[in-house]
Amino acid sequence: MRLFRVVNLAFLLVVVFLTLYPFLNILAQSFSSEGFINAGKVNLFPMGFNTETYQLILADSVFWRNYGNTILYTVVATAISMVLTTSFAYAIARKDLKGRSLFIGIAVFTMFFNGGLIPNYVLITSLGMRDTLWAVVLPNAISVFNLLIMKSFFENMPRELEEAAAIDGLTQYGVLFKVVLPLSKAIVATMVLFYAVANWNSWFQAFLYLDNPDLFPVTIYLRNMIAGVTTAGSAGGTAENVGQIAANIQSVTIVLTVIPILCVYPFVQKYFFSGVMLGSVKE
Amino acid sequence: MIRRRDFLGLSALAAFGLVMAGCDSDSGSKADTSKARNGAMDSFGVGDTFKATAPLSFTFLFSDQPTYPYKKDWLLFSKMASDNNVTLEPTIVPSSDYEQKRSLLISSGKAPEIIAKTYPGQESAYVSSGAVLPVSDYVDLMPHYQDKIKKWKLEPEIAGLTQEDGKYYVLPGLHEELWPDYTLAFRTDVLEKDGIAEPKTWDEFREVLRKLKKNHPDVVPFSDRFNGNSVLNIAGTAFGTVAGWGLVDGLTFDEGKKEFAFGAGSGQFKDLVTYFNSLVSEGLMDPESFTQTDDSAIQKFTSGKSFVISANSQNIITYRTSMEQSLGKGNFAVRKITVPGGPAGDVIGGSRLENGIMLNASVKDKDSFVALMQYIDWLFYSDEGQEFAKWGVQGTTYNKEGGKRILAKDINFQGLNPGGTKDLRVDYGFSGGNFAYGGTTDLLQSTFNEEELAFQKAMKSKKPRPVAPPVPFSDTDREQATLTLTPLKDHVKQNTLKFITGQRSLSEFDAYVKELDSKGMGKYVELANKAYKAYAEKK
Repeated sequence: MRLFRVVNLAFLLVVVFLTLYPFLNILAQSFSSEGFINAGKVNLFPMGFNTETYQLILADSVFWRNYGNTILYTVVATAISMVLTTSFAYAIARKDLKGRSLFIGIAVFTMFFNGGLIPNYVLITSLGMRDTLWAVVLPNAISVFNLLIMKSFFENMPRELEEAAAIDGLTQYGVLFKVVLPLSKAIVATMVLFYAVANWNSWFQAFLYLDNPDLFPVTIYLRNMIAGVTTAGSAGGTAENVGQIAANIQSVTIVLTVIPILCVYPFVQKYFFSGVMLGSVKE
Repeated sequence: MIRRRDFLGLSALAAFGLVMAGCDSDSGSKADTSKARNGAMDSFGVGDTFKATAPLSFTFLFSDQPTYPYKKDWLLFSKMASDNNVTLEPTIVPSSDYEQKRSLLISSGKAPEIIAKTYPGQESAYVSSGAVLPVSDYVDLMPHYQDKIKKWKLEPEIAGLTQEDGKYYVLPGLHEELWPDYTLAFRTDVLEKDGIAEPKTWDEFREVLRKLKKNHPDVVPFSDRFNGNSVLNIAGTAFGTVAGWGLVDGLTFDEGKKEFAFGAGSGQFKDLVTYFNSLVSEGLMDPESFTQTDDSAIQKFTSGKSFVISANSQNIITYRTSMEQSLGKGNFAVRKITVPGGPAGDVIGGSRLENGIMLNASVKDKDSFVALMQYIDWLFYSDEGQEFAKWGVQGTTYNKEGGKRILAKDINFQGLNPGGTKDLRVDYGFSGGNFAYGGTTDLLQSTFNEEELAFQKAMKSKKPRPVAPPVPFSDTDREQATLTLTPLKDHVKQNTLKFITGQRSLSEFDAYVKELDSKGMGKYVELANKAYKAYAEKK
């Protein structure tokens, strides 16, 4: 038994190390100096401790403004997506809904066909949403993939629960808010995480529809930063810190964008358990 | 996943959108400019400063560089407003994805009037749509532009921009002279210690590598970056063919016969791969040069495992910083050498045209069209305008001492004035990529450091390769040509590598040429010659 535990522990430690190593390596690189990075000498610990790139990015007011935008867009977009997806999914999960397959069909259709980039751009512009928050948070508010996951979750919820609630005098909305949703914390948490991460990482919508740098999310800022330093500097001059920045801009960027998600994850994670409804219905 | 699909679909959709947009435009007819003179100067000639007679504003597609992000209150803009009476309303696009957004905006018909940062060749995709102004129709409004072309004998380069309809659609940046940057960098301290002279020709280059190999048997002296594309490019020119980055459309022009041929199927190309094959087989050149990442090539060079690598002036600085940490200060010396000459003579390739601007076709209907052209002419093509865009305002951002421009005390630009606390680009908007490019050699080199000036001086003795005439394909021919060229180039690249690294015997070169032929080389060259001849006859 003891041997098993030792082997088990050792094995799991190896797995943990393998999972953590890439991230630690990135973290170390982000604090290392150019020479050591270019020489490929950085492993787990920073070599030639250096925070020049961090200083440059963190001292930029545009960075903070864009970071704020990203938080705003993520919160608003996730809220909108959650409301729309949950209500849509709950409705189409009810087998007694008339025209149910039509609604599902409409949703699924958009998974395979879309209007295309230029028509979409013309549409968003004509709606007056260009250069506003709405251009980022409204298009693609419902991810059909997420919708279908939620639908099947709701479908698997025992009908008896809802019937019992209805008998006890709850209205349709009462059933949804007081019974179904509290029992769906796991799926709601999953969806919030899916949407939040997707919105946090997204840049393409914002890139298409926003022309004002004050409105850009931080992803565009950092993307431009990475592309910029790799081509930076005109020839013949001396650029003091271009080399340093080019060397670890990617790792710094990864660290800066990953941290918030890392902070949120533990709080969401506690909802990731099954068996909430264990024993709620006797069959 | 959906995002990526959108992204990939972009180019296809752009093409579709362009066809749609093309239906309702009449790019063929030249507009009457006599009524579009709002704000224009009555007499505007070479040496005049443009000042609009009424306040004007133009929209501008602005490529935003993260190292000097756009600021509304830049002196660049306020000075234009006060001295030229022109306000620019920029649409800010991150430079990382500038081309995608430009394509989207043009295709959806929402493009700003002035479209910056367009490289010659990029405009071709928009020609048939009629969304872009055939600017060659209106260059009579631009005295400085015409003057520079005449003075610097840029006619062949400009002719190279011609599209099938005999017009051109981009206003390129103009350089007085070729500006070579990429070459080979040597560990000059090792050369000195071994008493080896810098090579002047590719034959001498091989001799130098042999000596280095003899003195340092454990070192492969030459391990290259850029997947060998840079060195193949400069050597290709010296051998009288095209390779590496220079491959582009694969064509070489025979001045004697007045026709195009496919460079990578020629005897010169065989000489080129034979030469590089000898470098690899003698152990002078690392065969990984063509496959390794830039980072690992740099690692080998900066840790002393190789002595030669490709470089531009910026790379040199990066190498030095790394080597100060890996080898220690004072233990090394790195310098760019002048590009070696070859069988085709002491020639270098490249173009004197740089990125420039396109204009939205709608500008010709504006009442201030003439003023717009005069303004563009002044800002991008007059000596005064170019100096303004690069150095700013004399007395504020810089001063002139005996013809030499010197930055104001508190202003720095790329380390030229390390004591300066403000930056010419970040805080004032000058010397940025949207406005400052091209110009006289004097202006171009005014921001170079000593080392780069010496390199440019040494390169002066080189002759630029003659400019090939244009190949203005018709729409259907362009499609056909692109379809043929892509697999042809793939085959050329694969086999260049195989011949050089010895995976394929050089005796099979004739078989390789036959394979090219079966992939449509003959047809492609025929198409090119057809387009060229149609152009030559029209001229």
